[in-house]
Amino acid sequence: MASIELRSVSRIFGAGAQAIRAVDRIDLRVEDGEFMIFLGPSGCGKSTTLRMIAGLEPVSEGELLIDGVRVNDIDPAERDLAIVFQNYALYPHMSVRKNMAFGLKLRGMAEAEIGSRIARVAETLGVEALLDRRPAQLSGGQRQRVALGRALVREPRAFLLDEPLSNLDAKLRSVMRTELIKLHRTLGTTMIHVTHDQVEAMTMGTRICIMRGGEIVQVGRPQDVYREPVDTFVAGFLATPPMNLLPARLDVADGALRLRIEGQEIALPLASRPGWARHAGRDVILGLRPEDLHEAPVGAATAALDCTIETVEALGPETILTLRLGRDGTELAARLPPEGDWRIGAALRLHADTSKLHLFDPETTRSIPGN
Amino acid sequence: MERRDRRFGWMLSAPGLLLLGAVVLFPIVWAGLTSFFDYTLLMPGYDSFVGIGNYRMAAGQGEFLHSAWITLLFVVAVVAIQFVIGMVVALALNDARRGKSVYYLILLCPLLINPVVVGLMWRMILHPTLGIVNWLLGTVGIAPVNWLGAPDMAFWTVVLVDIWHQVSFMVVLLLAGLSALPTEPYEAARCDGATAFQRFWHITLPLMRPVIIVTLLIRMIFAIKTYDIIYIMTRGGPGVATDLISYFIYRRAFVSLDLGQACAMAVMLLVVIAGMTAMLWRAMRQVGE
Repeated sequence: MASIELRSVSRIFGAGAQAIRAVDRIDLRVEDGEFMIFLGPSGCGKSTTLRMIAGLEPVSEGELLIDGVRVNDIDPAERDLAIVFQNYALYPHMSVRKNMAFGLKLRGMAEAEIGSRIARVAETLGVEALLDRRPAQLSGGQRQRVALGRALVREPRAFLLDEPLSNLDAKLRSVMRTELIKLHRTLGTTMIHVTHDQVEAMTMGTRICIMRGGEIVQVGRPQDVYREPVDTFVAGFLATPPMNLLPARLDVADGALRLRIEGQEIALPLASRPGWARHAGRDVILGLRPEDLHEAPVGAATAALDCTIETVEALGPETILTLRLGRDGTELAARLPPEGDWRIGAALRLHADTSKLHLFDPETTRSIPGN
Repeated sequence: MERRDRRFGWMLSAPGLLLLGAVVLFPIVWAGLTSFFDYTLLMPGYDSFVGIGNYRMAAGQGEFLHSAWITLLFVVAVVAIQFVIGMVVALALNDARRGKSVYYLILLCPLLINPVVVGLMWRMILHPTLGIVNWLLGTVGIAPVNWLGAPDMAFWTVVLVDIWHQVSFMVVLLLAGLSALPTEPYEAARCDGATAFQRFWHITLPLMRPVIIVTLLIRMIFAIKTYDIIYIMTRGGPGVATDLISYFIYRRAFVSLDLGQACAMAVMLLVVIAGMTAMLWRAMRQVGE
């Protein structure tokens, strides 16, 4: 097992004026035994960061430490990390057994030990019957298991998973997600999992590291990142549908904070968010999760918003409504219980839970703290 | 509709097929037919049918067997050496990040030159008294070499000239194969602890196997048919040291004027090449899969 630390690490492609900073001075510490998720849109630098940790990309600037030892110039094999690639990267000309044995043979391990490790891992992953097949004879899910098996037999210090579930269908992805969580719990080995799928990020990781444009935007436990996004990017990236971001004007009057949104008003006691008062008289962005909008008032901390229904998506356990504020204002989404009779074009009064509101500065896009 | 399309297709390809029939199919059929007759250019005609007599005579003839042996040596030598050089250059070029197109251009130059010109050029370069190679050797105190005059030396000289002329073909094909290989298995192998040589041995070679087979077969087929360089540079000599099979058949037909026997030998050569082409076809289908 291993802790992994990145100290002001950058990856620069090209040189001079054409240099591109794919990863820009990031600092991160992945604790021993942690399941860290790198989450972000395509091109945000998450895979490049993972590849730098694996040793497949050179570190242009900064320091990379594994268990406190600087490994910038150490060969991938000597780092003793195992990587599972997005498209599995199995050796196409070798059987499953040989794929798993290859790395162990290169390390000079005895045949008997190789055999017993393969048998153990094959049983864990349920691929015993596939050991003599070639990758071309396997389904996507089976290949994914074999790729995982090839990493597992090595018993490395840490696992690096580069979007290993993205080529699987939704059902299989869900199964493999659960298996990976179980595997991490059983092995207790450090795992870093790269994904752009927020469901994977929310359900699998002990912590999430959200990246954008080569920089780390926020690191934290999934629920913390979900509840307290540091900016509009994180707020808009996590969850489907994402947080509603509505342009608003903040004022303080009669001892209350008043948010005016396209002719409608949400009022909340000043004492509940004293920190927001410093932004009184300015434009702000109001953040409101779709599940924090209700058909009926929820306790005392609610505010009504009049909307018009634009689309209705009945998903079974819940219904997602896409609405317009007023008649033709800003678009927003609401996650409501399934039992409801909504008609497209009809007016609907929703009640926002004011204890769950977020404010963001439109200039910096950063969250405005309530305290 | 489908029938009309098919008829239209046949109409479009008919002129080409007729032309191919006239210049390819007719000579093959004619040679096949002639090989069963005692047909000479002194007495051309199909009066005396000899059955497989010409084949039997060719197979038992020392000169023909010697020629076949020399051809086999030539094919093995040029293909093996070209493959080793071609693979090394292709691996180097595959890793080159800059100037790939310049290297390509330089490498392709010999391949673009007509074999007759190649032969003439090298005959001048290797001329015992006027050639630049012997002059250069002389400047460092090495005695002039009789490149095309001594039997052993002439064979290897022809081999080297053929390698110079054709090696870029091998490079281009192998390079195309190398650049089509997936990168991920190499990265996985690096993480597994494979050295550069182990990656070449355990990943590159097995993955390149179908491409290598196709490349070797194509080169072997062309090497067996080598004629022009021999005609220009050595005329099969000195003695019969470079008397490759194509040139031997030519001599049998147009020097000895024994067309019947030459045709029998040509058919035998055709069978060998057809067999290799069938193997090539199978290998190419494997590459496609």
